[in-house]
Amino acid sequence: MLAASLLARSKQRNHKEASLRIATAALTLNTSDSIRDAGAILLAKLSNHRSVELAQQRAQIAPDLEGRLGVSMRIEAQRRTFEDSILLNASGKWLAVNNFQRDLWESASSEVTWLSASAPTASGKTFLVLHWVLDYIRTTNTRVAIYLAPTRALVSEIEENLKELCADIDGIEIVSLPLQTAYISAISKHKKTVFVFTQERIHLLANLLEDQLFADLLLVDEAHKIGDHQRGVILQDAVERLCRTNPNIKTVFVSPSTQNPGELLQDAPAGAFTASIDSDMPTVLQNVILVEQAPRKPKDWNLDLKSANSTLNLGVLKLANKPAGLRKRLAFIAAAAGGRGGTLVYCNGAAEAEDVAHLISQLGVGVPPDDQELRDLADLARKGVHRNYQLAPLVEKGVAFHYGNMPSLIRTEVERLFRSGKIKFLACTSTLIEGVNLSCRTIVVRGPRKGKGHPMEPHDFWNLAGRAGRWGNEFQGNILCIDPYDEKAWPGGVPARSRYPIKRETDYVLESLDDLAAYLDRRSSDTSEQIEGGEFFEQVGAYLLNTYMRFGSLTKAMFAQRHSAEALLRLDSSLAPIAESVKIPLSILERHPGVSPIGLQRLLNAFHSYEGNIENLLLAPSESVDAYDRFVTVMRRINQSIYPVFLPDGLIPLHALVVIEWLKGLSLAEIIKRRIEYHQKNGRSFKLPVLIRDTMNIVEETARFRAPKYVSAYLDVLKMYLKERGRLDLIDDEFDIGVALEFGVSSKTLFSLIELGMSRMAAVALYEKIARDDFDREGCLNWLKEYGPNFAGMDLPNLIIKEALGVAGLHNDGSDETTE
Amino acid sequence: MPAKPVNIGSIVFPKKGDATAFFQSMLYKYELGDKVSDEDANVLSALVSNHPEAAAKIGVGIASFSVRTADFGTRCFWVNRSDGSTEKFSFRACY
Repeated sequence: MLAASLLARSKQRNHKEASLRIATAALTLNTSDSIRDAGAILLAKLSNHRSVELAQQRAQIAPDLEGRLGVSMRIEAQRRTFEDSILLNASGKWLAVNNFQRDLWESASSEVTWLSASAPTASGKTFLVLHWVLDYIRTTNTRVAIYLAPTRALVSEIEENLKELCADIDGIEIVSLPLQTAYISAISKHKKTVFVFTQERIHLLANLLEDQLFADLLLVDEAHKIGDHQRGVILQDAVERLCRTNPNIKTVFVSPSTQNPGELLQDAPAGAFTASIDSDMPTVLQNVILVEQAPRKPKDWNLDLKSANSTLNLGVLKLANKPAGLRKRLAFIAAAAGGRGGTLVYCNGAAEAEDVAHLISQLGVGVPPDDQELRDLADLARKGVHRNYQLAPLVEKGVAFHYGNMPSLIRTEVERLFRSGKIKFLACTSTLIEGVNLSCRTIVVRGPRKGKGHPMEPHDFWNLAGRAGRWGNEFQGNILCIDPYDEKAWPGGVPARSRYPIKRETDYVLESLDDLAAYLDRRSSDTSEQIEGGEFFEQVGAYLLNTYMRFGSLTKAMFAQRHSAEALLRLDSSLAPIAESVKIPLSILERHPGVSPIGLQRLLNAFHSYEGNIENLLLAPSESVDAYDRFVTVMRRINQSIYPVFLPDGLIPLHALVVIEWLKGLSLAEIIKRRIEYHQKNGRSFKLPVLIRDTMNIVEETARFRAPKYVSAYLDVLKMYLKERGRLDLIDDEFDIGVALEFGVSSKTLFSLIELGMSRMAAVALYEKIARDDFDREGCLNWLKEYGPNFAGMDLPNLIIKEALGVAGLHNDGSDETTE
Repeated sequence: MPAKPVNIGSIVFPKKGDATAFFQSMLYKYELGDKVSDEDANVLSALVSNHPEAAAKIGVGIASFSVRTADFGTRCFWVNRSDGSTEKFSFRACY
């Protein structure tokens, strides 16, 4: 205990970790009362008050610890409590925090304008940042704050958390839709607003506002995703775009366990005060346990705790059945080791996740008492996706799976029930490390891959492993690594602890200077079939070209300081002739980050040489009879002129069809049903789980990502051309295709429902019951108030009714006889 | 027996196959969803009036013609009527 209390004062991670391990052992092992008290004091010294609270809740220390301390210890304890608290200026309440949280709060509240903070997963980053944002807005002149969350899943999570936190605060609006009205109301001093956006949505709103999006505060969560392939550059562009409108914008980056949070500060405008906070302090113990089969006994698996230089045998895990095949191995070991629940099983891909979850569900380990919330989720999966969607029967057994393209209402409900413990086993994919805040008790993993086939980098593995151990709910978390010495599963062995290196996608691509320059040189002359290396260079190439056109040379850009002048001049010489040939003004190019100006110019040229009826260049509204055909043609034109995005060509009709159905506001269930009917009518065989996943994939990847990005660029160039030809009368400005596609709506009523805070799934189900297509928010609220009492008779899933009534401020009181 | 010529408006095709080739190439000259040119529309007006169900196809009157998809991914000419309704027709049925 003496050693531990000395180590607690160290700044080094391994010292602090050793101290935490001793404190945890003192509290959880069979020790005397005085040792337990000492363990609790040690935790407090580590500013780990949440774990002390946990020990109190679990009666691992006797009540009134302070009463048992001597005078000097008591004074010291009080000083610590005081030091480890922050004052919420707006409400006068105190918040207990750890060292990292305190540092972050103090820096963010100081005159620092650019701040980058990093800490391990279970450090309470998000919790603190959410409180800070609200406190900061309430106590300063901030009118518009933007919370950038790089995935839609995270956007809905953050939006929900913020709404909960300001439930009883007046004058703050939380908005996740790119609404001009919300922005105007914020700057006209009506209500202060926090926009929670993905990077794409920031661009959508900036486009709607003709680039007049003036934000006072920008918070970038999961900021290391600035290095993401293809979307990293869009994130960087969004930050730069906001800084161009307001060079004094206060900017806070937050990232999990990164090596170099300071890297992000290099782009700060001249004169900005910058600070970086880098914490590596563990809050819960994370035990890496190696799981290896005992020789000749396929049902017996040895467990060894791995530490820096040695392993410690913990015992043998006995499986009930022989684990033939890798999926069974994963499932059976998870079932045997994670029976207490909170068990996350990492799978390589959605199909594997479905399979593993199905295997676990047969072992009778997840079965909870018959539960209404689980039944509601199963009901939602059946009605919202398909009656045979495998998630439904699994959920009823306390097991679930989770992957990226699932409808967000279902996915967030899966996460919520996993957190609350009703779902005991969750088979997940790399979506989970792509920005979902979900921690667990145990992680089971074998040969983890990220995306399709690439072995996980150590920092990705540790981003995953870092989720084991829920701070404040457990003292430690376990990471079970199966077959640790199998070279196929773990090419470099089980990775040692590692932190994520932040590296911008742009910097990464700029390093391949020769190939990039060659790509740029070729890009103008190549036909769409020949654009080689496009995957890697296209987005950043577009960014560089825009930058060049803005400044006249890359050497004047903010990133110039990170690259040699020679390299930049070399790129300048490739960019100059391209910039010369592009006649589309920068103001239009800037609206479409990641879309190549060369491609857009080529499209404009194609319009100029088009000899047919000019109306044939237009898109038709989704309700129009020729909408589908127009989309097929426009997608082909995009492939030919801008960039080959909708591939293969033979699948364009399918993609166009799903896009139209999505725009029409069809539910996912209906889109799936129609595809099944199509297959049946034409006698084509299909596998239901594959068809369901494939349809979800088209909706997310094509309808909500590629189509809005490229179709809105197509329309902007077309608009420019029509203006030249004096035919602006042909453009229908009501139809902002980017917004319509992102949200899958084309009627005002549907959009208003989503504006009110409903998920699309719920909005679509409800819209089927609403006759009018032109309701604004007020109209929808009135409808909800009028018809809400009759929802029970409308055959709507319970979760949707709950959401609708919640939005309308009505609750299931009285109208729901079952609660009586 | 010599092939029977086909008359569509002012155009005379020596035999059926020639008419089919002509309309087939007109059909594939366009992209899906396109409205056909005025010149082609004139020929199609004459064509559709030869259709066995011409009255039903034309309905209240012709506003324009389009090329769009029919069932199973094939393409086909469509009459766009002046009341906004639309109907496909097979050119092969017209001669």
